[in-house]
Amino acid sequence: MLDQANAEFAVVIEGMNKWYDDFQVLTDINLSVKYGERIVICGPSGSGKSTLIRCLNHLEIHQEGKIIVNGTSIFDGMKLPETVRRDVGMVFQSFNLFPHLSVIDNCILPQVSVLGRDAKTAHEIGMKFLERVKIPTQANKYPGQLSGGQQQRVAIARALCMEPKIMLFDEPTSALDPEMVSEVLDTMLELAESGMTMLCVTHEMGFAEKAADRVIFMDAGKIVEENVPSAFFSNPQHPRTREFLGQIL
Amino acid sequence: MFDFRFYEIWRSEEFVNTLIEGAFNSFWLTTVGGICGFVLALILVLMQDKSLFIGIRLTSRIYVEFIRNTPFVVQMFFVAFGLPLLLDLQWSFHISALLAITLNFSAYFAEIVRSGIDSTPKGQIEAAQSLGFKKIAIFKDIVLPQAIAKVYPSLTSQFIFLFLTTGLISEIGVEDLTWAGRFISDRNFRDFEVYLVLTGIYMCMSWMFIFLLNSLKQKAFPWWGLK
Repeated sequence: MLDQANAEFAVVIEGMNKWYDDFQVLTDINLSVKYGERIVICGPSGSGKSTLIRCLNHLEIHQEGKIIVNGTSIFDGMKLPETVRRDVGMVFQSFNLFPHLSVIDNCILPQVSVLGRDAKTAHEIGMKFLERVKIPTQANKYPGQLSGGQQQRVAIARALCMEPKIMLFDEPTSALDPEMVSEVLDTMLELAESGMTMLCVTHEMGFAEKAADRVIFMDAGKIVEENVPSAFFSNPQHPRTREFLGQIL
Repeated sequence: MFDFRFYEIWRSEEFVNTLIEGAFNSFWLTTVGGICGFVLALILVLMQDKSLFIGIRLTSRIYVEFIRNTPFVVQMFFVAFGLPLLLDLQWSFHISALLAITLNFSAYFAEIVRSGIDSTPKGQIEAAQSLGFKKIAIFKDIVLPQAIAKVYPSLTSQFIFLFLTTGLISEIGVEDLTWAGRFISDRNFRDFEVYLVLTGIYMCMSWMFIFLLNSLKQKAFPWWGLK
């Protein structure tokens, strides 16, 4: 079944379990994401949502079950996680721009080092994506000179320069001042409209309503509820979901 | 009150020239030794990478511990007198001094750089991994530049400290600044004045090194301290 699915699905997770020592963080996760789909994952802190998307590019290692990302199986001890990571962009809560490189060099270095592009092409592509996140004038500044919202947009541009098939967002707006959240969300919305496959861990329910094809609610390491946004917000099935939504909306 | 007679140094052109040559020798031996020591330190740090064979890591660790826990004089005598016997080769005392300084500095620098590498934020490595960087590229392009910037003040002060210990190379007959002081005081018997002058020159040279290293920092790490 998995093999036929490869062409259609960006991510397939089947019966996945993960432990930290004795503590089970993820329990029996099953999830398929088609190319072009936008998924929002929400849930209380400690529910395993970040861990789940970090398993997809092998930043975290799961112990049981299957994970197939962009046609490649992810497992403990896999030889070249780099080949999967190349096609999977990730945006972090704390931006993680390289502070010793200018904004444009943050975009150039990965292209040159990982994709083997020449510096000139990499520069052009870098500028193209900096323009797309509306920040081309800051290209020669260092990350430390930018606001949080600007840094996060650069981080998105840096990931897009690699022309990924899938984008993972790990609470991209949680570390931002309130007035900077919208500039990042606008960038993400635009990206969603362009047809990018996205998995977003976020508490921004407005973004989920506008952009998501499906919302997934996790609690205590399990996927508790999964639905289209309209139904998810208007008619949550599980009491735990209702409780959560009652607290954050 | 002691009757200072600095004139006993200045009046002799030979003495003044000896001091200048001594200061120059101390300067270039420390500078070249420092640079070579730093390069060797990076190699030592690379050898301690967790993914490498235990023998390689252990070699580097033992070397660093050995150098840091034995006196510089002993290391220098070994390089100047022991090593030529073992290898059946002869080289000048300048080379011995340079080699001893390089070996000595490298161990201290390696320990400092390693501490910088150990404190790399996890997010930096994860970001590089998620972009598909290879391990070597992560180390070379992401971890190392940040680590060096972070420990740069420690490296500078360690360098100054080690510079001040290089006076010991006069023990194997290298005509450095300390050697020049002894040369002069042996002849004019004005030890107090000579060593006061020496103190002043060492201090000025230290300040000069600090100035040079700080200027280099501005050039090499313009991004440091922006956040």
